[in-house]
Amino acid sequence: MAKVGVFVCHCGENIARTVQVQKVVDFAKKVPGAVFSADYPYLCSAPGQKLVIDAIEEHGLDRVVVAACSPQLHEPTFRAAVAQAGLNPYLCEMANIREHCSWVHRDIDDASAKACQTVTAAVERVKRARPLDPVEVPVTKRALVIGGGVAGIRAALDIADAGHPVVLVERQPSLGGNMSRLSETFPTLDCSQCILTPLMVQVLRHPNIELMTYSEVEEVSGFVGNFKVKIRKKPRFVVAEDCTACGDCAEVCPAPGGNEFDLSLSSRKAIYIPFPQAVPSIFTLDADRCLNANLDSPTGFRVLACVKCDEVCKPQCIDFDQLPEIVEREVGAIITATGFDLMLGEQAEECGYGKYVDVMDGLEFERILSASGPTQGEVRRPSDGKTPKDVVFIQCVGSRNPEHGVPYCSRVCCMYTAKHALLLRHKVPDSRAYIFYMDIRAGGKGYEEFVQRAMEEERVMYIRGRVSQVIEEDGKLKVLGVDTLSGRPVEIDADMVVLAAAMEPADKGEIAGTLRIAADTYGFFKEAHPKLRPVETLTAGIFLAGAAQAPKDIPDTVSQASAAASKGLGLLSQDLLQRDPTTAHVDETVCAGCFECLAVCPYGAIERKELLDAQGEVYREVAAPNPAVCEGCGLCIVTCRGGYIDLEGYSDDQVFAQLGAMGPPPEVMER
Amino acid sequence: MNAIIRPDWDIRDAILEMGGTDAYKCYQCGKCMAVCPWTHVESVVFPVYRTPQSVKFGAIMSSEDTADIEREVDEIYRCVACESCTTWCPHGVSMPDIMRGIRRILVEFGSYPSELSESVSRVHSSGNPFGEPRERRGAWAEEAEIPSFEPEMDYLYSPCCVPAYDPRAAKVANATAEVLRKAGVSFGVLGDREACCGEAIRRAGAEEVFQEVAAANVNAFSDAGVRKAVVTSPHCFRTFDREYPELGADFEAVHQSQLFARLIEQGQLTPAKELGKKVVYHDPCALGRGSGIYDEPRQVLRSIPGLELVEIPNYSREYSLCCGGGGGGVWLERPKGERLSDIRLGQAVATGAEVLAVACPYCLQMFEDSAKTMDLDIEVKDVAELLAESL
Repeated sequence: MAKVGVFVCHCGENIARTVQVQKVVDFAKKVPGAVFSADYPYLCSAPGQKLVIDAIEEHGLDRVVVAACSPQLHEPTFRAAVAQAGLNPYLCEMANIREHCSWVHRDIDDASAKACQTVTAAVERVKRARPLDPVEVPVTKRALVIGGGVAGIRAALDIADAGHPVVLVERQPSLGGNMSRLSETFPTLDCSQCILTPLMVQVLRHPNIELMTYSEVEEVSGFVGNFKVKIRKKPRFVVAEDCTACGDCAEVCPAPGGNEFDLSLSSRKAIYIPFPQAVPSIFTLDADRCLNANLDSPTGFRVLACVKCDEVCKPQCIDFDQLPEIVEREVGAIITATGFDLMLGEQAEECGYGKYVDVMDGLEFERILSASGPTQGEVRRPSDGKTPKDVVFIQCVGSRNPEHGVPYCSRVCCMYTAKHALLLRHKVPDSRAYIFYMDIRAGGKGYEEFVQRAMEEERVMYIRGRVSQVIEEDGKLKVLGVDTLSGRPVEIDADMVVLAAAMEPADKGEIAGTLRIAADTYGFFKEAHPKLRPVETLTAGIFLAGAAQAPKDIPDTVSQASAAASKGLGLLSQDLLQRDPTTAHVDETVCAGCFECLAVCPYGAIERKELLDAQGEVYREVAAPNPAVCEGCGLCIVTCRGGYIDLEGYSDDQVFAQLGAMGPPPEVMER
Repeated sequence: MNAIIRPDWDIRDAILEMGGTDAYKCYQCGKCMAVCPWTHVESVVFPVYRTPQSVKFGAIMSSEDTADIEREVDEIYRCVACESCTTWCPHGVSMPDIMRGIRRILVEFGSYPSELSESVSRVHSSGNPFGEPRERRGAWAEEAEIPSFEPEMDYLYSPCCVPAYDPRAAKVANATAEVLRKAGVSFGVLGDREACCGEAIRRAGAEEVFQEVAAANVNAFSDAGVRKAVVTSPHCFRTFDREYPELGADFEAVHQSQLFARLIEQGQLTPAKELGKKVVYHDPCALGRGSGIYDEPRQVLRSIPGLELVEIPNYSREYSLCCGGGGGGVWLERPKGERLSDIRLGQAVATGAEVLAVACPYCLQMFEDSAKTMDLDIEVKDVAELLAESL
């Protein structure tokens, strides 16, 4: 017969205000199996824990129920306490009488009755619990970083500098991401490329970093400490080792088109390097744009219509026969830093985006401001190349607009718009900058001061209000809006309009799916806890960095990247990982080997196990969950037709006993 | 006023050139309006916080509707330059400077209140805002047998136009002279050699006239060999102290309350006669917030035997409420119910004081008018008068 001790916490007034703690303590004594009960104002305090430990020793308790807060909070505390008293930590059960009871009820009698039921249920459950031991798994001491923007670069460098090998995978032909597109960065006005390219070069030269550009993560299997990754290296049709980046090929290439790096404000050839400081400095042949594309052959290049690049290439590194290559790597930790895109939706259209060429988004204006951009940093508008005098900047285009965009704030727009206006004024001194804003959110070191500088020194005209539309009239872009602080409509004749479009995640679900990590409604990767575990995902071993998790600026991105790297390093520094033993368990004696469980397991945790007879012959195949991989989600359990799979710590026996105790309110409570 | 704002860069640039650049420091928080004395007048809405944004838009006087323009002019001349907003503005915006910038444009176009334009032209022609003969400026001093200033004297006493011509305010000048005499200070007056300091007309926007009268004063002071000047009006004081040096003036200005306090401290003056009165002191804007002089007038009052000094609760020192006379307001006739002096006098009466002590001729005039029209039983006196009585 189990000897269960029940400990009821007041949590100050949090529980005691609504739940009559003494009644719960008295009631608990009468629950079959419970031999001891006590209460304490704050059980999580050191004296509270001591109370539990002493009672275990004094009364010879072999099971413990702590009626207090959510197991999310203090289960680890009390499991450690019972372990100190010599019990298996999994023989300690939390009864949540705070979040599930005192906080959500008003009636003291009802709440007290429910607390008694919850305690009974916990006792019934813990009586049937069996001791469990943590699962130990080895760790592959290598990390994968997905995304070669500033977040991925920083995370990769941090891990590599700490001495662990890193595989850095970037989809584009060059490292750099969105940051390499920016002109100057707020609030210091450092040249973005000047501060980023040294890091890009470091990545390339780092002995611990294996850089794979123009590559994509195709498949990830395994589990924390033991991931297996398949990476698809897209064919560059250029032998990377031999290319000297002389550019002879691009000169003769007859297939021009927009350069995506400059958001098509400039052009590039089919064989190209996206920008001069690209890392690695290797040309890439865009198979979609090459004249040889789609000629009737499996690789696209068997029948060649044009070989001009090949003819001029001195090192002879054009290889029309290159094929995609799949490489496999084993890693222990994964950092996801896939970055952002700008969202140009309904609101951008209202503002004339897509209709008037001189209405552009923030990133396009960055390229126009950039010394390496299509205008070499001279502010000239796309339509006629003239220098604009009156430029209207519109903030919150798509952001903070749940009806016609996204409800969230994109966080960087206030600052980069202030920077745009300021740089415009620096570069075109007789220009006039207007900013339509909703609120100015300049919460960062030196940010508010920067906005003030734009207002005060550069005389940027801030107008609080949204724009109704942008129309073309007499060769001007007429911006119609309102100054809500005076309550008057405003009309501004502009030469150019720049939209601070909302940020959206660059990953549209592919990486989230491949990694099996959660994303929010908008596709931003979900952190394990918004405050306490901001760089972890709920999948152990996978970490987050940068704008892929939420809109953020460069300082925050870099901080988060270093944080993710440090979390990853914490993992890689261990020889063996201890995992929660709350995993699936198959009753092999009855498993029919249908393997429906294997089909549904999202973690690939179910293996086929051969049962051997006395002669060593295979007589049956059964499902065998690998406890190192199993996340304890329970899908296999509900799928198993025979009900032969249990979750350790959540066996049918335990759960049904727990549910059974939640019947009608116990009679002991006088109503 | 729902007219569409269409930015006018010419108007903006003109106002900026006239000194309105502080508009760009403004971030439209509204603190200025929250501390503006006009918030105490329920019938008046003076959205002062909108002014910097209107400057930035150049959206002033740009309406085609005359009623709009009139309303704007009326608003722009509401500002009494009390510097309450300047004192509390988180971004250090000097609203009076912005107002002055705008008013300069209005004056240039002749679109400003006629009472002001008349005063400006009188200052221009007669050297005082009342249109009194220039040569009569020294008459009060002759009667009081105050000598003409000589270079070997310690101080020039510059009494401000109001005491020089107004019989009531002349008593303040006489009291000041008496105090200085008893303290053994050597001083003299310039009489018709000086003219109005020009502070009020400058605030009203008449910059050119200010420049002219100020330059004449600077020359006159310099010709007469003035090194130190003691003044009755804090408006003259601030102008001499801060604005005349820009025009080449090289003399030290001191407000009489400062000099009195120093003379008492040094034992040159000893108030002896019991006054036996409860006195409340009103901080003039130009002396308190404008010049940071809060303690000296109080020190003088406290030194008078039998004088019980009280304060207006919540609205003293930096929180003092303007009498309405600053920024040219002293010349503008406001309808009953819109007079700041009435509100301030009511606050003073509520303290139970028998005397309201001031240290500014404008305050004296404004409060005396209010005391008469409101039929309130409180005396309004300058600190100098109270001090003279106790000597």
